[in-house]
Amino acid sequence: MTQRSKFKDPGFILAIVVLLYSAFVWIWWPHETYVAGVALTAWLMLAGIILWFMLAVVYVFWIEHVEESVKEETERRGPHENN
Amino acid sequence: MRITEAIIVMLYLLFMIGIGLYFYKRARSSSSDYYTAGSNINTFVGAFAIAAAVASSSSLMGAVGSGVTLGLPYFFAYAFGAIGILPFAMFLISGQVRRAGVKTMPDFFDQRFGRSVQILSAIIVVLAMTFYMVPQLTASGLIGSYVLGIDYIWAVIILGLGFTIYAALGGMWAITYTDLFQGAIMLLGVMVLAMFILFDHSGIFTLLNDALAVDPNFGDVTQPWMAYFGLFIAFLWFGIISPSVVMRNFASRDAKTARRSSMWGTLIYLLLFLSGMVVAMAGASLGIADQLDNADMIFVSVIEHYLPPIVGGIMLAGLLASIMSSADAMLLAVSAGVAYDIYKKNINKDASERLITLLSLIVMLVASVAGILIAINPPQLIAIMVGWVGGFLLSSFGIPFVLGIWWKRANKQGAFAGMLGGAAVFLILVSLQILPTNAEPIIAAPVSLILTVGVSLMTAPPSREIQDQVDRYHTHIEAEVKAKAAVTQPEGYGYDTDR
Repeated sequence: MTQRSKFKDPGFILAIVVLLYSAFVWIWWPHETYVAGVALTAWLMLAGIILWFMLAVVYVFWIEHVEESVKEETERRGPHENN
Repeated sequence: MRITEAIIVMLYLLFMIGIGLYFYKRARSSSSDYYTAGSNINTFVGAFAIAAAVASSSSLMGAVGSGVTLGLPYFFAYAFGAIGILPFAMFLISGQVRRAGVKTMPDFFDQRFGRSVQILSAIIVVLAMTFYMVPQLTASGLIGSYVLGIDYIWAVIILGLGFTIYAALGGMWAITYTDLFQGAIMLLGVMVLAMFILFDHSGIFTLLNDALAVDPNFGDVTQPWMAYFGLFIAFLWFGIISPSVVMRNFASRDAKTARRSSMWGTLIYLLLFLSGMVVAMAGASLGIADQLDNADMIFVSVIEHYLPPIVGGIMLAGLLASIMSSADAMLLAVSAGVAYDIYKKNINKDASERLITLLSLIVMLVASVAGILIAINPPQLIAIMVGWVGGFLLSSFGIPFVLGIWWKRANKQGAFAGMLGGAAVFLILVSLQILPTNAEPIIAAPVSLILTVGVSLMTAPPSREIQDQVDRYHTHIEAEVKAKAAVTQPEGYGYDTDR
């Protein structure tokens, strides 16, 4: 069985990205600065929802790549382990 | 009564019930088929299904209604959390829970922490999902009374029972396949509405200026920071803690399909919310928020104002569609909680599949009637009621669930204390009403975290076997089909390729 560090998991890393961007928005919270008549905080959240989708795409391809490498590694080791 | 809209909505509902009947026989063949569609749903169907399950009536009517009433930043706080639902769940739990090879969320708690935590989580699921029926029924009652010209109470009763019969007949097969249509109609309907609005106002910037001219506070942050933040975290965590969303994940044929379904589901949800933003701006530009009995009716008013009756009818069918799919997924979660997690696993282990399915039907009816009784006099705006459900689930088992997957040291005592403590603090805060609306999880979730970690560290660690099981959640090997076998035979844990 192939075991990788949980902290190198794409999901773990991307969840940290989500938390970092969220922290940026919620800590800064520029509610008295206006762009086009709307509080800047609203625009930051709009950018955030687009970022969430992009992260979902990154995750799907990243994890498929990881699984492919794990599979190849397991297949490569298989015959030696059986000997 | 609005004849054109009513005919379209009625035809639509009959069509959906027909699909439920078609899948009736298939669904009754086994509980696996009933709850997770035999784990055989493909990416295309799965994407619409998971988007439709996440996009409850609240996503459309609630977000727009609260956005017009409380300002555009409130709408975006809602979207900021809601669009993150599927990616965040995918990053933290989806693959791991699939590899656990369990059928429902409480099943996972049983595998990881033991029977007492499983029973507590099943009770929480049943309570939360039953209450979650209320905003769905409120929205369906508002639309039904508008379209059919009947009393709101009768609309709630008729549509509520209609949803129940449909979900009870077909289980997850029917729900997932009708979601394909529901998701498509919902997406198409809102996008068409947004295009009509943008054409009418000659573009997005003119529309925004029109809205600000009518309501100068539309772009303002009108509520305390905690109200926005509480709403955000309740929604962001919703995919992790909502049994109805997690069960959708199990319905996909394999992990790769589940992930791709979630990715495309996120895009569908993003498009829905961007269209919803346009609808909210149009709602503000109409300047009618103060004249309506219920602010959640703004969405319907926008449809009436901008769309011809026949297109409006399709759009209202789309709205009902989103409500129906969400309500049905909730009913399924409630019935799984009682029939499978409580009855079969703890009371009658030898219960036949047919008995379990029959019990599920009865539970669905009871939950539906309970929801209808509360929805007759709804306690709050739709968005706030949904925020309560998300906040309650996050406060109770969000932390034990995620730590159960990611932290080997989390044990039964810690999970039980965190779950019970978080749920109790949340309910106390809601009943005292001392915090801004929906801000309760800001206090209750950290309490759950402290209890889960603190009690786990103060008591004995889980067995070696359980800790090895946690490692297996993170192996990145496609083995969900053989996951059960892997639990008992870890050395033989291989992979099978995607079909």
